[in-house]
Amino acid sequence: MQGSFLCHSHWGALRQLLGLSVVRARLNKKTVWLHCMMGTMRQRSSCSPAPLLMAMPTRALMDEPIMLEARHLPPHCPITIRARMRSEDGDLWEALAHYHADGRGVVNLSRDEAQGGSYTGREPMGLFWSLLPAPGEREGLRLRKRNVETPFTVRVSLLRGHVLPPTALGCSRDARGRDTQVQEEELAAVTLERWYMAPGVRRVAIREGGVVGTLFLPPGPGPFPVVLDLWGMGGGLVEYRSALLASQGFASLALAYFGHRDIPGPLHRINVGDAYFLPRCVIGINGPMGSMNKLVDFGGKGESFQEDQKHWSYDEEGYVSFRGVSLPANIPPDHMVKIEDLRCPLLLIVGEDDLSCAAMENADKIEEGLQAAGKSHLITRLSYPGAGHLIEPPYSPNARSSLWSTRPTKLITLWGGHLGPHAYAQEHSWKKILEFLDRHLRGGS
Amino acid sequence: MTRMMLTVQPSRGLVDEKLQVVVKNLPPRQEVTLHSLHQSESNDFWEAFGHYVSDGKGTVTVAEDASVGGSYQGTEPMGLLWSMKPVPGSRTGLRLRKEDVRTPMVVQISVYRGHISRGFRETPSLACAVAERWYMAPGVRRVDVEEKGVRGTLLLPPGPGPFPGVLDMWGGGGGLVEYRSALLASHGYVSMVLEYMTPKIMEKFTLKGHHYFETAFAILRDYPQVCSDRVAILGLSFGTTVALTMAVCSPLIEPRCVVCVSGSHQLPVEEPLSDVLMWINKDKVRFDEEKRLITRYLLLPIPSDPSKKVEVGKIRCPLLLIVGEDDQSWPVSEMAEDMEKMMKEAGNSHLLTTLSYPGAGHLIEPPYTPHFCSTTFVSAKTREKVIMLWGGETKEHSYAQEHSWQRTLAFLQQHLYSRGDKSNRSNL
Repeated sequence: MQGSFLCHSHWGALRQLLGLSVVRARLNKKTVWLHCMMGTMRQRSSCSPAPLLMAMPTRALMDEPIMLEARHLPPHCPITIRARMRSEDGDLWEALAHYHADGRGVVNLSRDEAQGGSYTGREPMGLFWSLLPAPGEREGLRLRKRNVETPFTVRVSLLRGHVLPPTALGCSRDARGRDTQVQEEELAAVTLERWYMAPGVRRVAIREGGVVGTLFLPPGPGPFPVVLDLWGMGGGLVEYRSALLASQGFASLALAYFGHRDIPGPLHRINVGDAYFLPRCVIGINGPMGSMNKLVDFGGKGESFQEDQKHWSYDEEGYVSFRGVSLPANIPPDHMVKIEDLRCPLLLIVGEDDLSCAAMENADKIEEGLQAAGKSHLITRLSYPGAGHLIEPPYSPNARSSLWSTRPTKLITLWGGHLGPHAYAQEHSWKKILEFLDRHLRGGS
Repeated sequence: MTRMMLTVQPSRGLVDEKLQVVVKNLPPRQEVTLHSLHQSESNDFWEAFGHYVSDGKGTVTVAEDASVGGSYQGTEPMGLLWSMKPVPGSRTGLRLRKEDVRTPMVVQISVYRGHISRGFRETPSLACAVAERWYMAPGVRRVDVEEKGVRGTLLLPPGPGPFPGVLDMWGGGGGLVEYRSALLASHGYVSMVLEYMTPKIMEKFTLKGHHYFETAFAILRDYPQVCSDRVAILGLSFGTTVALTMAVCSPLIEPRCVVCVSGSHQLPVEEPLSDVLMWINKDKVRFDEEKRLITRYLLLPIPSDPSKKVEVGKIRCPLLLIVGEDDQSWPVSEMAEDMEKMMKEAGNSHLLTTLSYPGAGHLIEPPYTPHFCSTTFVSAKTREKVIMLWGGETKEHSYAQEHSWQRTLAFLQQHLYSRGDKSNRSNL
């Protein structure tokens, strides 16, 4: 700190290294403050503090809205709010939006409308669900947390003016789209932690009786209602939704049933049978009611999914959509789940832009089947235009496509969904899921 | 009651943020006890509890409903925190203070069936939730200061700045107490807490010799991310005497504003400060029926000789005085009155705002932490241990902490952040 070369002014960056040429000088009429090293004279004039960027809470659960407010700005001035974070793999994700301060010099993201950037309009959590990998990052990324015991750390910055995201070349563009050498200027910043696990939630690894999973328990003595948390054909053991459910008071078991090293058998097959699953009240998100390959039988062996690709389709970029695989017309009738045997309430969530699974067509078939069996009362269907396959807990970005496999060749798969409508689907459906669980597991009204 | 649901929000909040505690899906008109438990860094347990009755829908909302018994009563949204006391069987004279500001205070909130007042550990609860209470927002940085003989800690907000600064001074207990500065940094101020109650420093400090404090102030003022003309001084107890002395007597120290909590403007002019702390032998010391030390009479009557007081009539910046009317440590109300009188006579009383709180004691600190009427006190000079009576009734004192903290933050914002000065308007 002592002997530093920093010169600082407000609202205009003036960096001067003694003895070296000026890197960049933009004189600001109001405050020029030179702090020179080693005892040379200081010029001190009046100094305005930087504007303040505040958030509440600064440590939030992933499904908890965060209020962001900038204060002490000049009235009506244009600013940009930008969120930046690194995934566990080190990829940089960012989102930004343009605002104008009001007459009192305040921008409040819960109140104000963004005029451009990663989203527009009034979107209190837009900075989080519109996050995209920064230019130059690897392609096919999906933002997912593996270690739920630590938070995502997000730096939210207040930038001067309306800044556009940098181009792939790393240059900035000004509001008219011209490349400039001017780097965006950070006026203020706040650091946020976003957690999947509330304090007191306990994480228990389960490896017993052939069951592979992670149990998340809320704090306290219980007993708790239980959710069995199943993911899709990506396989593995995905914990974050269960961690969030436990933070909402449900014991939740994230279950691995496919593609996990602790489950016997080849990774690309389902090797567990019906007895592995404990039936209970059901929430289905974008799921097929059968598969062209036999999924499970009591013998517990299924066929490989990668073998028959005749229903895969490709877009002009070579990204693959698996949607055709689950079209009801392509599923042999004896491979269909016998939906008429359903005995418990079913909440069906459908993304109408699902490019991975024929979610709408399957939901139609499920409804038809239940109606024919006189069981329409069991089903509640929520259908979201513009939402894709990966309808997950809210305030996280949707991946319209991501890396599926690297062998034998690199394959990027399409999930579908457009950022804004998908974000709405996640926020709305999560509330509905929690209400559904509360109603059927706790008897809430 | 497996349906019932206890929610506590925020689950990770700052110490001065309000906590929302709600219980749902109870039977209607059910008696329940809400209980809070905290294990301190010194491994003592603190607890509070309130007795509630659920409404017709089976809901208890602590922010809206009245506690009908327990460690607090009435509608007290934060009663579960500020009414905490050491659990039965604890050591005496305890004071809850956070040493490591990089970790949170963890509070466990539980719901019990019925109205119970003891035996919480042995009784099974119906539900529980955990809340973390932080002094430091994420991104706040801690910098140790050891230069030019000055020792302290700087707490900096995240971001490039520049920020206004606050020089943070505690009282006669000494040491380096960081939590208030950590909170101030979480609110956008570079806050430097200063260690000064060491015998070596105090031997040199008189009203006239304040080199240590001038150096400390300059370190903060000249720190690269600090607006040099927007530095405030905040003092508690003996720290206020230092703050007033600095503001009035030193030409090198120009605070933008000063906040004095539970303060005194009295100071022997010529004697080294260390001698002042030998009060324990003086005649005016009193003890209450529980043998707790009351020192407020040591500084009475307030001398009329101006040379024995800081000349607050000469103060040139806004001054906020915060006093508790039940302060047993110092006669702060009398002193505040005297200061007002001096400032009126000098014609600068327009700079003065006094907040006076009935039923509040000496240790008016950031809100929602427990009140202690008396605690063990070790004098920095003599190292003698006594039980000091600070004063204050818990509920009134907690109100004073909450209200005065909000007013302190508003005062600092008004004088350190406002853009009232037209010449400071920037062109964007």
